[in-house]
Amino acid sequence: MRITIDNDAAKFVVRLADTEMILGQRLCEMCSNGPFLEEDIALSNVALDLIGRAEQLYKIVSEIENKGLSADDYAYRRNEREYFCLKLVEQPNTDFAWTITRSYLHDVYANEVFKQLLKSDIPNLAGLSEKVLIEIRYNLTHARDWMLRLGIGTEESNSRVQGAVDQMFRYVPEIFHWDVVDNKYLSDTAAIEKSWKSEVSALLKEANIKEPELMDVVMRDYREGFHSEFLGHILTEMQFLPRAYPDAKW
Amino acid sequence: MDKYQAAFDAIIEKDDRVEPRDWMPDDYRNNLIRQISQHAHSEVIGMQPEGNWLLRAPSLRSKQVLLAKIQDEGGHGLYLYSVAETLGVSREEMIDQLHEGKAKYSSIFNYPALNWADIGAIGWLVDGAAIVNQVSLQRTSYGPYSRGMIRICKEESFHQRQGYEIMLHMAKGTPEQKEMAQDALNRFWFPSLMMFGPHDADSAHSSKAMQWKIKRESNDTLRQKFIDKTVPQAEFLGLTVPDPNCKWNEETGHYDHSPFDWDEFWAVVNGNGPCNKERLDHHKKAHNDNAWVREAAVAYAKKTESTLV
Repeated sequence: MRITIDNDAAKFVVRLADTEMILGQRLCEMCSNGPFLEEDIALSNVALDLIGRAEQLYKIVSEIENKGLSADDYAYRRNEREYFCLKLVEQPNTDFAWTITRSYLHDVYANEVFKQLLKSDIPNLAGLSEKVLIEIRYNLTHARDWMLRLGIGTEESNSRVQGAVDQMFRYVPEIFHWDVVDNKYLSDTAAIEKSWKSEVSALLKEANIKEPELMDVVMRDYREGFHSEFLGHILTEMQFLPRAYPDAKW
Repeated sequence: MDKYQAAFDAIIEKDDRVEPRDWMPDDYRNNLIRQISQHAHSEVIGMQPEGNWLLRAPSLRSKQVLLAKIQDEGGHGLYLYSVAETLGVSREEMIDQLHEGKAKYSSIFNYPALNWADIGAIGWLVDGAAIVNQVSLQRTSYGPYSRGMIRICKEESFHQRQGYEIMLHMAKGTPEQKEMAQDALNRFWFPSLMMFGPHDADSAHSSKAMQWKIKRESNDTLRQKFIDKTVPQAEFLGLTVPDPNCKWNEETGHYDHSPFDWDEFWAVVNGNGPCNKERLDHHKKAHNDNAWVREAAVAYAKKTESTLV
């Protein structure tokens, strides 16, 4: 079964849903792998926010598309090329600095996007955004605090977080390659880019991290379903049971 | 007898609670530290077999439920480390003892979680067995431990229901799902029963712990309570308990059971279970690989505190 998404509003929402889902899945990998117990719990808690958010967003997609598919069908039965998450959130947990940097860069973006969606006319999205923004405030504070600790802490932590930022910045430009669909449902995409850059620049400066130049890397756009090699592995693991036992209900 | 010992004895006698500020015999303190740190480590190591299925949880709901559950277990670990700290041992020391093999954790977590129904069986049987033990520990004589247990029991009974819900879905699902459920029960039944520890006659720490009211009911009493409660639940699922001698006994008013394989039990306790090395190595690796993160946090705190002054 190939699941297509036909309606523009659903195309827009599924990008957000997939991004939150894959970041949530990546953070699930950190369970029992955190630097200490409190932080392990914190990362699981953020993962829980993200997956809960993805589920609500998939429900909106499912209602708009109205094809009798559930939120689970959208998460578990689409292939790589049918997924529309940012490449940024597919990046692995190479070390704790990667985990935190990925979350931070994502959270700043998500914060700006959901602020604009407070006035969205897609059914249920404005209400959901209100709830999501409360969570993102905590997620962002958590990631921001760690960026500072790692940037300012020790020589080693500074060098690790610098490496993570250098790497992750490669996946930032595609965020701002807005298309017609983005511009239809976000009120001011230019403002998102501007706020993102000014928040991130200020934080990096405060954290003694050199800001890399944002350079376009030749990679096809996530909006067309083009991904890093990581996504295939993430989905293989995540979708294993529903794919292996298509008739089972869990 | 000196007046401190007399005061301590009076607290135990009256069924009051011993508090951190009270004088207590060294043996009592050490016995508690051993038991509570073992309990804390069990919660934390227990995150691993469940975490093994987190990435493969088959629905958005089940993934969120499992995440929340594992988070609770981590939280229980935190309460318990804090309880132990009131007895004068630090978390750092307890983690070192775990890594050096001096402190144990519940052997049940040395068994692998091999199919999705194992996540159900762990909630239903492992948390179920833990609750029977922990309900009785709500009346333990050490105040902070007793209060911690009251909170923990509330969350654990929720976990047990979640586990049973998974078993119900699986047992009433497709033939393959039912097979997974039966397979999970087959593998977890005896190890869960052995979680209560050796028979009363063979239990090294039991008699003193009972006398001090750290422990309130014997291993065998608690185990029998669990069996009597759980066999009808298995019947409701349409699954078979993997023990041909597990039958209702009119005379005793309890379910009978076959003798346990204590050789297996002691092998697992002594480090030779299916996942002992993996569980410990995993914990050490996460701890050691992230030492630089903890160092960074400390360095940052020092730098920023000094600028505040």
